[in-house]
Amino acid sequence: MMQRGRWRATAAGCRLMAAMVSLIATLSAGAGAAEYPDWRGAWSRFVVRGIGGQPSFDQTKPWGLGQQAPLTAEYQKILEDSIADQAKGGQGNFVEHAQCLPAGMPFMMVATRPLEFVVTPDTTYILVGGSDHYRRIFTDGREWPKEIEPSYSGYSIGHWIDADGSGRFTVLEAETRGPFKGRRAYDASGLPLHYDNESVFKERFHQDKSESNILHDEITVFDHALTRPWSVDKKYVRHPQAHPDWVEAYCTEGSAMVFVGKEAYWVSADGNLMPIRKDQPPPDLKYFKPTPR
Amino acid sequence: MVYRGSTEAFVAALTVTLTATLLAMTAARAADEAKYPSWKGQWNAIVAPGLEGRQFKFDPTKSRGLAQEAPLTPEYQKVLADSMAEQANGGLGNYPTARCLPGGMPRMMATQAQEYIITPETTYILLGGEDPLRRIYTDGRDWPKEIDPTYQGYSIGEWSEPDAQGRYTLLSVETRGFKGPRAYDSSGLPLAFDNQSVFKERFHLDKDNPNILHDEITVYDHALTRPWSVDKTFRRNPNPRPKWNEGSCVEGNNQVVIGKENYFFSADGNLMPTRKDQPPPDLKYFKPARK
Repeated sequence: MMQRGRWRATAAGCRLMAAMVSLIATLSAGAGAAEYPDWRGAWSRFVVRGIGGQPSFDQTKPWGLGQQAPLTAEYQKILEDSIADQAKGGQGNFVEHAQCLPAGMPFMMVATRPLEFVVTPDTTYILVGGSDHYRRIFTDGREWPKEIEPSYSGYSIGHWIDADGSGRFTVLEAETRGPFKGRRAYDASGLPLHYDNESVFKERFHQDKSESNILHDEITVFDHALTRPWSVDKKYVRHPQAHPDWVEAYCTEGSAMVFVGKEAYWVSADGNLMPIRKDQPPPDLKYFKPTPR
Repeated sequence: MVYRGSTEAFVAALTVTLTATLLAMTAARAADEAKYPSWKGQWNAIVAPGLEGRQFKFDPTKSRGLAQEAPLTPEYQKVLADSMAEQANGGLGNYPTARCLPGGMPRMMATQAQEYIITPETTYILLGGEDPLRRIYTDGRDWPKEIDPTYQGYSIGEWSEPDAQGRYTLLSVETRGFKGPRAYDSSGLPLAFDNQSVFKERFHLDKDNPNILHDEITVYDHALTRPWSVDKTFRRNPNPRPKWNEGSCVEGNNQVVIGKENYFFSADGNLMPTRKDQPPPDLKYFKPARK
């Protein structure tokens, strides 16, 4: 009897508490930012120990061929040609980013430098830095525009989900479409996206369930250079310091490489052009008057 | 019965206490966030009619270059004159931005299509092109002991409510710690090469028009004979979902600097002189072409 009475009392209390929690959730929702997750801080690329080389799309595998991307035969050849060109001193299929053009999606999410997420009800901003400035993920309920201006970063629309029923949003789902610009690559090997620039990206951003200082970007790429959609779970680790240093980095600053047409050259310490590969011909100077001998 | 009653009373009291605390926290946070102004939207720099529309200017009421009538010291007046003379001869002058280096402060504040994101800790100004972003810290931090030099500088701000209406209306900002060389505009109008400039800004909406934003900015710089103040104004785009262009200086740039010489690219991708009788680049590191 006593047990049953305690149970009734506890159950009544739980109902009361549930009602109050629901009320808080409702009021919090009206309060605006209280329902959004706290993703403040600097988020660095998660590094899997033992995997060397350049940062990669799938963080669990080495860059380039090691990614085992499900490329079509045509684009597998583009990757192999790119790697062969780079072995000779060229830029391969990474030439546009090497020229300091934006890398765009999905390379910009590699987090060469720490990312910052600024969450507002209408837009989530991902501040990237370098040649890829930032992403805007619109969460204001807009429809896809009839015409999208081509860009390297794409046009992103997202929506928030209260995945665990806690009254707070925990998952940001985003879709990013082009038309994209570029020749874009997943990593510095030149691992290619299709030159038609019609890729679509679907992402799920959320904090790790057991470690709030790990953020996931589960990203799936739909691209005509792939034989099937390619999904990876990119992870980022939050810096512990309250006031992280945000480095101002510019590709154009201090670069010792210049491009003339499609050819890359080094600029020597004395300010002259140098070949970047063996037997590279010099640039054509036909627009200059011949130098008197 | 006594046991049951006391359990219910305990649970009810706990629930009420928890609820009150959470509601107070939620209300406090909501009230705190409601104190900040709404500067949402796209802000475009207002330029006085008749002036070149797309050229960056520090004082938007005057044309660029000499017309700015900047209170420069004689030494830096000569830097400006030399810069303009060099540009007239095809060179870059004192305008490194033509190499797609960042313009930095204060040139970056003449960028079109600005966005202001206000959070309690930081106000972000999203720009574009070679100067993508400013962070203005409003979290009460002190100046760091050492500031890593940057083109945009390190900005600390403070919100205030000068009209005492319970909402912040004014963001006062100080910015220090620079890289250079920097110029106010494309003429090469110089800031001191010691990069010790300090900027004090007052951002606020116009009292009569909430779609006009002011950036009252004063420059303290060793190239000036006195502090130089201008009131930069921006108009809010009425489209609530404006287009944001992805700006890249490198894209479409038709200039290249090799050593100290500036060259153009021709349509067929070859180097071209930027001035009459400009010598070609020295190709001494290349093997002579076989005849």
